[in-house]
Amino acid sequence: MTWISELWRHLRYRLSGARFDADLAEEMRLHMDLRAADRQAKGAAADTAHEDARRQFGNFTQFQEKSREAWGWTRLDSWGQDIRYGLRTLAANPGFAATAVLSLALGIGANTAIFSILNAMLLRSLPVEDPQRLVQVRPGAEGDDEFTNPIWEELRDRQQLFSGMLAYAPDHFDLADGGESRNAAGLWVSGDFFRVLGVPAIQGRVFTRDEDRRGTAPLAVISYRFWKRNFDGDVSAVGRTVRLNRHTFEIVGVTPPWFRGLDTDGGFDVAIPIACEPIFHPGHSSLDERSAWWLRILGRMPAGESLAQARDRILAIAPEIFRATVPRDFPTEMQQNYLQNSFFLKPAATGFSEMGAQYRTALYTLMAIVGVVLLIACANIANLLLARAAARQREFSVRMAVGAGRARVMRQLMTESLLLSIFGTAAGLLLASWSSRLLIHRLSTTRHPLDIDLTLDPRVLAFTIGAALVTAVLFGLAPALRATRVELNQVMKENTRTVLRASGRFNLSKALVAGQVALSLVLLVAAGLFLGTLRNLWAVDPGFTRHNILIITADTEQAAIPVGQRTGTYGEILDRLRALPGVGAAASSALTPISPEGWAQMVRPEGFASKSPGDTLLFLNRVSPGYFATLQTPILLGRDFNDHDGLNAAKAIMVNESAARQFFGAADPIGRTIGMDKDDVFQIVGVVRDTKYNRINEEDRRIGYLAAGQDSDPRPSIRFTLRSETPVETLIPAARAAIAGVNRGISLEFRNLETQVRESLLQPRTVALLSSVFGSLALLLAMVGLYGITSYAVTRRKGEIAIRMALGAPRESVVWLMLRDVAVLLAIGMAAGLAVSLAAGRLVASLLFGVRPRDPVQLVGAAVILAMATAVAAYVPARRAARLDPMAALREE
Amino acid sequence: MSHNAILCHSALDKRNRDAGYWHSLTMAETQRRDEIPPGTLYMLILKMLARHGQLHGYEIANAIQEVSDEVLQVEEGSLYPALQRMLLKGWVTAEWGVTAGNRRARYYRLTAAGRKQLQTEVDQYQRVNDAIHKILQTI
Repeated sequence: MTWISELWRHLRYRLSGARFDADLAEEMRLHMDLRAADRQAKGAAADTAHEDARRQFGNFTQFQEKSREAWGWTRLDSWGQDIRYGLRTLAANPGFAATAVLSLALGIGANTAIFSILNAMLLRSLPVEDPQRLVQVRPGAEGDDEFTNPIWEELRDRQQLFSGMLAYAPDHFDLADGGESRNAAGLWVSGDFFRVLGVPAIQGRVFTRDEDRRGTAPLAVISYRFWKRNFDGDVSAVGRTVRLNRHTFEIVGVTPPWFRGLDTDGGFDVAIPIACEPIFHPGHSSLDERSAWWLRILGRMPAGESLAQARDRILAIAPEIFRATVPRDFPTEMQQNYLQNSFFLKPAATGFSEMGAQYRTALYTLMAIVGVVLLIACANIANLLLARAAARQREFSVRMAVGAGRARVMRQLMTESLLLSIFGTAAGLLLASWSSRLLIHRLSTTRHPLDIDLTLDPRVLAFTIGAALVTAVLFGLAPALRATRVELNQVMKENTRTVLRASGRFNLSKALVAGQVALSLVLLVAAGLFLGTLRNLWAVDPGFTRHNILIITADTEQAAIPVGQRTGTYGEILDRLRALPGVGAAASSALTPISPEGWAQMVRPEGFASKSPGDTLLFLNRVSPGYFATLQTPILLGRDFNDHDGLNAAKAIMVNESAARQFFGAADPIGRTIGMDKDDVFQIVGVVRDTKYNRINEEDRRIGYLAAGQDSDPRPSIRFTLRSETPVETLIPAARAAIAGVNRGISLEFRNLETQVRESLLQPRTVALLSSVFGSLALLLAMVGLYGITSYAVTRRKGEIAIRMALGAPRESVVWLMLRDVAVLLAIGMAAGLAVSLAAGRLVASLLFGVRPRDPVQLVGAAVILAMATAVAAYVPARRAARLDPMAALREE
Repeated sequence: MSHNAILCHSALDKRNRDAGYWHSLTMAETQRRDEIPPGTLYMLILKMLARHGQLHGYEIANAIQEVSDEVLQVEEGSLYPALQRMLLKGWVTAEWGVTAGNRRARYYRLTAAGRKQLQTEVDQYQRVNDAIHKILQTI
């Protein structure tokens, strides 16, 4: 415990401050005086006695220092000195400090913002127990990852596979009782879901295994945010009920605030057991459906086991599981296909992020872009520091002359750099938190609302601090080395200007500026490519019109309409909608364009020999007459469906151009037949223009359309498409009223097709916007850097310019003299930038549409913009050289 | 360095008052002066303080010199830092007082911890010394 008392004494010593020095000085003076008195007593003369005493004493100041050192912590003291001195220096140059801090704030802020989003979507582990032990069971390494419920039940009953297994599926449940839907983010969960994940309940309890058996009571576990929002945090929420899709569920528990489900994008509101599914779909539940693939399965590996061992175990039982669950009504060859299925294990520690998967390449690209911007900013600051170091030569050489080592002065300079870095990072963190929230808000769509937890987590903090340190070293080290590499004699001479003859063919500042130019070119090219991509995407003809189209999704599941009456109800709704004022055309369909859903089947076109697997796959939609007219998709051959295409008529199908071309070549497809399922045969009655199905940037695919009137088993949900003369929002109340007039219990969702298309292009729009912003920022920084270096060169070479002008050189030639250096820098920089752009273009190819990464037009365009901008930046200070008065300049020398 | 060459007797020695004789004597002879062995300075200072109760800096230096018959002299450059260190460690305490000549001086005094430290160091020094002695004794 002695160190405590030592610490205490040390603190008391610190508090006494300057008195310590005075006391020690007095003590030592006394010592000397007594010694002198001694000598005098022994007969020496008075003055020599004093001198001798002093001489004997030694180096007064050094003893004082040593005594101070005896108390320890001198290193801390000198750091404190450095920091105070550094702060004073920065305060004395507010312009420079502000510029540097601002550039750093922008650079580090942008980096942190993008990284925090990247972290939240792709890198962060789930906040559950031991996420590293979680693996996902998938049908294959890529692509769809869901299984059927029979498969899940087979897997679940085999205990020896994992120490815990769970199944879940995201969904949304309607909280409203009819009319417009109010959707809650829902989760179907197996009984063990919460237990395997290690998620306790903060109120009530979570599900048990037994509660996930058929016939179970309708129970629900709600999330913290749902609890706060809908029950106001009321403790008595447990035991109350919640209406989901018009059915009542009893709330048994609330999950903690840090648990947001396994999908990191959006969180969840309500979780209900998988066994409750028949409640929503009585009569055709998916629980025994062997071809409905909807459940994700995860397992927890036992401790000490590796992925390979788990994989071997599950592969061993795969064949018997698929044998036990093969759909009985499949034709033989499809059954054989089914039995080929197997399992694939993939670590699932980071959860699932649809947005993350979609934006992975874009996020990494943006990360690279902001990294480059930060480098450019650092180069600028380094150049500024170099210039200032030149101005502070005397200060450094004086310090080194009186005994400070080179390391000490360098430490001072690095402390100043670190201070700049710290201020810049602090400002950058603020900027990052604001801008990352803004970005998430922009990326959130109506279909896919994002609710990502962006609070600072250790990884992001470590990243930011790392960035701060690295930038401090990057921009501080070289100038510090340069500044202290000084010959003392030279500097002490009068004319300090000519000393820094660091100019010449090649030096550090020029290299930095050339680097900035190169990097700016790369970013400009990138911005150009992404803008070009966006322009191309906008210009794509999707095959339908998107202006003034309203899409109404109607769900009659809970409206108690018997299956036989569905078609009639839909027909009645359609008639009413068509009669609304302002509606130009209306139609119904199973699917609408640019949505994530799809329906595809293998078909048997007449006379078509399949050459490769998948070339008989036809995407499908079921539409009413007038669908193509409503969406303004031209019918190229044949006719549209009409009222004669009913249940008793011959089955009709319409195909798009691609299907017609690929199945029948140049021959006329009208009248040909296409076979589907077991023995259905459809006759082609019309050919329509190609349209986009899921995404704007997809390739043309084969699409077939069936007639709504020939649907023998109409689904409970359907979509109505309306085209109006007026903006679609005005139609919504009227449409709602019209449908309610037919049946009040139908759930409705309204969507504007134009918004839907625009939101589907969100990723390219965001990437184009951000890359343009950062590209412009980089260009601005490069211009500032170039301006600075040219300006400095003019100042430094004033003498030379003055002499030239005095000897008769015309003003333009002086300007050209200055610009010549810049032109060389520009050329080198652009060459380097072009090389990097060509090399790196491949990496972003997946984000481009309609532009090649090595598109010469883009490269030349970017180069021209860069050249013009840098020419302007350099010309302004160069012109100053021309306006020099030679006599005044020479006199100054 | 000059201070090695000049002898200086403590003020308590009143034997040689003749200035002239003394002067020539001090100039002529240079007595063997040895450095204080490393690590023993603290021990010597503590011992002097234990012996005399309270002393100020100059008195400590003089005492060491005198008692060792001029063999050991403390350099000021090591004395004051050592005293500061002992203050930090809590082996001595310091107090401002007045000398005989009416000058302000800081007087140092041992603490209980200081006494303990002195004992520890003396024991260690004795052990080492005995060991060296044994080695030197062997033929």
